[in-house]
Amino acid sequence: MTQTPQTAPEPEVMIRLENLTKRFPGTQRNAVDGLTLDIHAGEIVVLVGPSGCGKTTTMKMINRIIEPTSGRIILGGEDVTTTNADQLRRRIGYVIQQTGLFPHLTIGENVATVPKLLGWDAARTRSRVDELLSMVNMDPDEYRGRYPKQLSGGQQQRVGVARALGGDPQVMLMDEPFGAIDPITRERLQNEFLRLQSEVRKTIVFVTHDIDEAIKMGDRIAILQEGSSIAQYDTPEKILTAPANDFVRDFIGGGASLKRLSLSRVRDIELASWPTVSAADSLEQAHRVLRESDHSAVLVLDTEGRPARWVGAEDLRRGAGQSLDRIGTVPQAVVESRATLSDALNELIAARYAVTVVVDQDGRHLGVVDIEQINEAIRSMRHSAVAEARTEFADGRTAP
Amino acid sequence: MSTVTPVGVRDADVVTQTPPAAGRRGWVGYLTMPLILAVVLISLYLYVNGRELDSIEARSLNAAALSTAVGEHVALTAVSTVITLLIAVPLGILLTRPFTRRVRPFIITLLTLGQAVPTISVLVLLAVMFLFLGFQAAIVGLVLYAIIPVLLNTMVGLEQVDENVLEAGRGMGLSRFQVLRRLELPLAVPVILAGVRTALVINVGTATLATYINGGGLGDVIMAGLSTNRVLVQVVGAVLTSVLALLIDYLAGLAENLLQPKGLRSTRS
Repeated sequence: MTQTPQTAPEPEVMIRLENLTKRFPGTQRNAVDGLTLDIHAGEIVVLVGPSGCGKTTTMKMINRIIEPTSGRIILGGEDVTTTNADQLRRRIGYVIQQTGLFPHLTIGENVATVPKLLGWDAARTRSRVDELLSMVNMDPDEYRGRYPKQLSGGQQQRVGVARALGGDPQVMLMDEPFGAIDPITRERLQNEFLRLQSEVRKTIVFVTHDIDEAIKMGDRIAILQEGSSIAQYDTPEKILTAPANDFVRDFIGGGASLKRLSLSRVRDIELASWPTVSAADSLEQAHRVLRESDHSAVLVLDTEGRPARWVGAEDLRRGAGQSLDRIGTVPQAVVESRATLSDALNELIAARYAVTVVVDQDGRHLGVVDIEQINEAIRSMRHSAVAEARTEFADGRTAP
Repeated sequence: MSTVTPVGVRDADVVTQTPPAAGRRGWVGYLTMPLILAVVLISLYLYVNGRELDSIEARSLNAAALSTAVGEHVALTAVSTVITLLIAVPLGILLTRPFTRRVRPFIITLLTLGQAVPTISVLVLLAVMFLFLGFQAAIVGLVLYAIIPVLLNTMVGLEQVDENVLEAGRGMGLSRFQVLRRLELPLAVPVILAGVRTALVINVGTATLATYINGGGLGDVIMAGLSTNRVLVQVVGAVLTSVLALLIDYLAGLAENLLQPKGLRSTRS
């Protein structure tokens, strides 16, 4: 649908910013100074940098909430620098930190905003609203008629994402969408959003000041310095293994190896096994399983195969006569298979038996992650990243 | 420039502090005020009925004369309030648009000065200088006085709308006009309505002055009582005015509750 240059293997450029500049009235310096950036279709590009670097201004110039002083914005091959801004914005999803949900409209009406602007009929709009609410894990029948005030912050932001997807835009702009949400909910929303993105494959420009979030969410990261000048624009792996300069190195901060753990998911590594028994089994069976293993506890699974209890030898002795799902402790360190290794490590550190239990989407037990596997993952990542950096250097693709 | 807006905001804050309208208190609460007013009116009727009226009193205190006065009074209040709204709300919208930023302080200062002049002086000036008398002249005086609270509340109502909501609206492709009509105005409704209620209460009280320029209303009854030295007539006029004012305030409070956007109500379901 677009006329991109004839470089076949390169993915299509969805957004091209050419020499984009913004100077606010009454200021001496350009907030954004001659930024040129290509954003490929279907990728999440994270603009990250210290506050005041111009990342939000840059993003807001793409849908012209802020009009550029000079330069061009090319969207899907079409120069949209001076086209009708209202029409342009209906084609671009927009999610902001404080959700900006319309408080006097129901959730359903909020999500229907763009479909209505685009003139969809009532039936199509309604089915789209239900589809979108389901996509962000909110039961349409339960939430359609509620008002934003009746929702938690995390739910509001889900609705914000659903609303932005209303007109099925190819491009989404997200301004610190998970910034005002508590860490646990943020983690979940990030994971949910990545799953959603793997289905919808939008081109996303994502602004954050949090390098960890950038590493987790970004297919590519643009680290911006003052005036929105690009310090490095690359994949998270490359930024972590081969920072382009001291600014990038400082910005990443310590623990680059640890941060790299945010790049791989639990499902990508081989899980360790752990002795399990069913909740319906007897204490004697649990005893036998425990004796035959070299571990200090067995994991009790309920009838659905979900982790229910940790039971150690001491628990078995004291709980004589009770059923297995009434003794021991409830497993706290549990992650889904799409969690990052970093999430798993976090859980593992505080866990009682130094392992994190991994479950699938329905909460069924898949295996465990222990420190050995995390170590192994770090080693293999370092090897492959270094090898890749070397080949690229040899190809002359990156400047020395 | 920026010195004027806070003044406006402060004024309007005072304006908004009408007592909390018939809130969440069930139908018993809603009926209290009408019942009290009915009891007052019935007592007044029984009292007046039980008295021997002289001919002067009888001329003022009869069904025809009183209902004419009440009718005129309601008309004065209603017409002046509607005209006030027609002027003040659009003006408030205009004065909150970015392109009027420069003229905003001047216009507000001017109107605030206008409000400082008592209505009675306005009425007298109209009558003496322009020989402008009667119902229409009274309306002019009332409107001039009531514009400011409605205007300031409209402006404050529009300005207190969450900036994020407007940005989200713009970001989704609502035009400036759509943002105004679908987001700003509905979200400003509670504050604007508080201003309207204030204007109504001001107007229903000030309308008693219309009698000085032959504008009719319950002021006629009070004046008749004063000029003929008939206390009973004065009392009837004053009580009727007060009952009418309280009734209108009560109805405006009901309207405030009913017209408030559902999602903004403080109840949780």
